[in-house]
Amino acid sequence: MKGKLACAVLMAPFLLLLVTVFLIPTGTAIWLSFFAQDQPGLGFGPESTVFVGVRSYVAVLSDPTFRGGLLTVVLYCLIYIPIMVIGALALALLLDSGVAKLRGWAQMGLYLPHAVPGIIAALIWLYLYTPGLSPIIDLFARGDIHLNFLGINTVLPSIVNIALWSNLGYNMVIFYAALQAVPREVLEASVVDGAGPVKQAVRIKTPLVRGAIVTVGIFTLIWALQLFTEPVLLSQSTPMISARFSPSMYIYDAAFTRNNYGLAAAASVILLAFTIALSYGVTRWTNRKAA
Amino acid sequence: MRLSRRTLLAAGLTAPLAACSTPQRRGTGGPVEITFWSALRGSQQVVDAFNSSQNRIKVIFQQIPSGGQGGYAKLSNAARAGNAPDVATIEYPQVPGYAIDGVARDITDLVTDRLKQKLLPQALKLTTFDNRVFSVPLDIEPMVLHYRADLFEANGFRIPATWDEFTELARAVKAKSPTKKLVLFPTDGAMQFACFAWQAGARWFDTSNGKWQVSLADTPTKKVAAYWQGLIDEDLVYRNASDSKQHDAQLGQDLILTRLSGAWDAGAQMRARPGQKGKWRIAPMPVWDEPVVGTHGGSTFAVTKDSAQPEAAMEFIEWQTTHPAALTARLKSGTSSQYPVAPGLVDTGAKAFPGEYYGGQDVYGLFKQEADKIRDGWVWGPRMTATQRVMQDGFAKAGAGEGTLIDAVRAAQSGTMPDLKALGLSTEEVER
Repeated sequence: MKGKLACAVLMAPFLLLLVTVFLIPTGTAIWLSFFAQDQPGLGFGPESTVFVGVRSYVAVLSDPTFRGGLLTVVLYCLIYIPIMVIGALALALLLDSGVAKLRGWAQMGLYLPHAVPGIIAALIWLYLYTPGLSPIIDLFARGDIHLNFLGINTVLPSIVNIALWSNLGYNMVIFYAALQAVPREVLEASVVDGAGPVKQAVRIKTPLVRGAIVTVGIFTLIWALQLFTEPVLLSQSTPMISARFSPSMYIYDAAFTRNNYGLAAAASVILLAFTIALSYGVTRWTNRKAA
Repeated sequence: MRLSRRTLLAAGLTAPLAACSTPQRRGTGGPVEITFWSALRGSQQVVDAFNSSQNRIKVIFQQIPSGGQGGYAKLSNAARAGNAPDVATIEYPQVPGYAIDGVARDITDLVTDRLKQKLLPQALKLTTFDNRVFSVPLDIEPMVLHYRADLFEANGFRIPATWDEFTELARAVKAKSPTKKLVLFPTDGAMQFACFAWQAGARWFDTSNGKWQVSLADTPTKKVAAYWQGLIDEDLVYRNASDSKQHDAQLGQDLILTRLSGAWDAGAQMRARPGQKGKWRIAPMPVWDEPVVGTHGGSTFAVTKDSAQPEAAMEFIEWQTTHPAALTARLKSGTSSQYPVAPGLVDTGAKAFPGEYYGGQDVYGLFKQEADKIRDGWVWGPRMTATQRVMQDGFAKAGAGEGTLIDAVRAAQSGTMPDLKALGLSTEEVER
């Protein structure tokens, strides 16, 4: 009895947050996506709330700008996630191998950007990317190399760069912690068997931190699918980022520029379903491989 | 302009708070109080003049950011919260959207015949849908050709009367001074482009069949898109945003000889570049074959659904749009050159407008001549802000060499249709 009470007290904050900031908003979005204030014909008559079925969903999925945004974010994931996971793992292995000097400083230096809020990070990079403001572009221009970080083909890599700068150190710390937990006797045994430092890192350590790699991969994926802050800020300096650049920006635009809450809600539910399906798929795929 | 999303968000967050402080009608005996939001310059002067002209209605004015910079989001959010001002300023392209959303009240019964007779019928048509009036137009802005008289004279250039002559002139400018260009194709100028299409006889939207018939890429629009694409491909025009430092530099350093924009822009030019006083003149927009023009810009006043004092709101609107004192107050602020919808006010405007900037040219006389040439039959769509943005995304790409202008127009249509369908409107895409 006492155990149950303790359990309820301890779980209460979690459940309260789950209900108020996840279940209720999600439920509202789902409701909004199936109902609309409709006026027939040209739309100038009196409004009435009606059930519209999957109309908003059909509209979102038939919208080339939404599909374009989805494609952009998929492309972004394909560039960003491999670089992030491999880069963070490589750095963690390097620190763990003991080759690196000043380990503490290196760790802090790499982690520090993560402490900078995303919006500030984007502002810093916006400054570095904007022609006329950026000292980097100026410097290269003096050497007659003309860089355009915000051009039609460079804008996505530029966003990837901001995300890497912000999150590489954080994921490295996770990998480093996992590597610390690798049993020392296993490593000693591998040395006895003749494994050099590189072989040890690739063949012994990496498979042992597989769980951490999958976790980081999934978190990075979920975070990347919600791409919003960086492109919104960069869009102030380049017309190459449209108002519907990513699905999250599409949702924002639908709600606040187009005043179309049904459309925004349906797009939100689609993005949620897409994210869940993709994370589930990745989990299943990695588990099957492990089994 | 590029800060729009953040200001939009900020406006969204503050709008309900601002609206909470809106004073309602005081106790009995005092004047009726109404609230008025506008981004138009000189509005404060107009409100002051109205308030001191009588003591029954007191207008409380709030200057808000322009539509694209957050003004429209502010209005939408306030309306959603039930706190919209009594009178709101809405530009022509956004009128159908606010009418559909129920923000702009149906004021058909409040618009008296007396008021109707004072207004240019072409303008009132643009705010009338389904035989119902949703807002009262203030100004109508035919597109005109603003040109650098000094540079024209120095080079012996003649004012182009037709678009063919305009192309010839663009080539001549390039031949004579390779660093200069005749004009800008604004990549953020879907509204300028709409005006070009309007002039050529395009009908992007049509409501005559009881449904929204959409045909952004109709034959006249294709002609206009091909024309500007040709100028771009020949490298005869600049292609960047008009609301940008780059364009400021082009104008400031005498690198550009003409500007195509609404009559209102004469005032904006005076304010933005006082140093170029006396160098600019204004001529009619070049034409295809018929002597017709489209409009670029212009505002209307709507009574919102939340107004508790629609009659008082209407009285203020009528005064603002038709009383000479209103126009005089606005033009005296020195930043406006609006062309009034009430033809009776044109002489007042001509007198009140400080003409030295344009070398004493009778600009209002020219505006009047051009306003009479506005082509009939244009209808704005239900979600113009969004349509405009998608089109401009395509223009920016076309300017950078990826895709063409007509691709951008088609993309704007395909990015608009899902929106209209999700709103539950009857729609149809037609080929014209």
